[in-house]
Amino acid sequence: MEQALLVSNVLLWIAVLALGAIVFALVRQIGVLYERVAPAGALMLAGGPKVGEAAPHFALDDVLGRAVALGGADAEGRSTLLLWVSPTCPVCKTLLPVAKSLAAREARRARLVFASDGNAEDHLAFVRAHALDAYPYVVSTDLGLAHQVGKLPHAVLIDAAGIVRAKGLVNSREHLESLFEAMDQGVASIQEFVARSGGSR
Amino acid sequence: MEVSLDPALGLALRGGLVLLLGSAAWHKLRDLAAFRAALAGYRLLPERAIALAAILFVAAELVTAGALLFSASAGYAAAALLALYSLAIGVNLARGRREIDCGCFGPAARQPLSPALLVRNAALVALALLAALPAQPRPLVWVDGLTIAAAIGLGVLLHGSVNTLLANAPRLRALRGA
Repeated sequence: MEQALLVSNVLLWIAVLALGAIVFALVRQIGVLYERVAPAGALMLAGGPKVGEAAPHFALDDVLGRAVALGGADAEGRSTLLLWVSPTCPVCKTLLPVAKSLAAREARRARLVFASDGNAEDHLAFVRAHALDAYPYVVSTDLGLAHQVGKLPHAVLIDAAGIVRAKGLVNSREHLESLFEAMDQGVASIQEFVARSGGSR
Repeated sequence: MEVSLDPALGLALRGGLVLLLGSAAWHKLRDLAAFRAALAGYRLLPERAIALAAILFVAAELVTAGALLFSASAGYAAAALLALYSLAIGVNLARGRREIDCGCFGPAARQPLSPALLVRNAALVALALLAALPAQPRPLVWVDGLTIAAAIGLGVLLHGSVNTLLANAPRLRALRGA
């Protein structure tokens, strides 16, 4: 009797471990699937001026006291990449060097403007800590409200004529580049591009 | 009568907790900068204390894991450490700051906070408290070796599955919303 129970117990343990391993493997596979299916471009959220509409006009002073004009035709004929960041958002910090390198690459046709809201002193410290003084950095709640910025980091690409060309939540270099890609391709978002080119969903 | 636990169960629980704390410390050490960023995201400690606190948490995890190898009562320390993490998550959930990185699964998986994490941690705390109970005097036989090894293995697999499911949840929500 004892022998029989022992054998069955050993067998059951083996079976339970095998099933546990299978469950774990399946759960991992589901994770990989989600990653593959997720849109690779900046995720566009509802609200704010739509792609193709004019960006609202703003004449602001940035944290270092420089005048910054947003919206309307650009004097230098360049587009504007508006990037909302915050000292308290960890993803924003990882995105800063990416934004800087992208701004350097696209310098001929686009300028980078950081935006945020809250306490100006915090932002000044943030600008110093991350060497952002080469770029306009505006602190304006109204600007964020006008563009209906919810989650950070959020980016809006405004072309030289003051029209919103692309926007969305940006977490990576791919997301930021997708905004320029969307402007070049004349589509509103990578999601729309995928839908147009008959991407299977 | 004092509450006590079968020695095979106690050893299996302790072994599992050693692996849990050891792997947690290993993940944090491998990317200390990411852990510091996650810790800062919780906004519970002053900026200057972050670097020191990060080292202290890793040290606490390693010391607790080491102590569990020798003494069952180190289970109380493990429970306290896990409860402290739950408290930090709970405070930020109450503040409505769900979007910060949990820092719970190592640097590979960014994961927002969720009440499900509190449930997971509560289960772990309960297991740690169970592990801290004194063992019944009973001689261990070879089948116990099988039970302990298999139970630890199963624990690792189940914990991994639960974590992956938790990490998958926001991705699924993002897909549904998109």
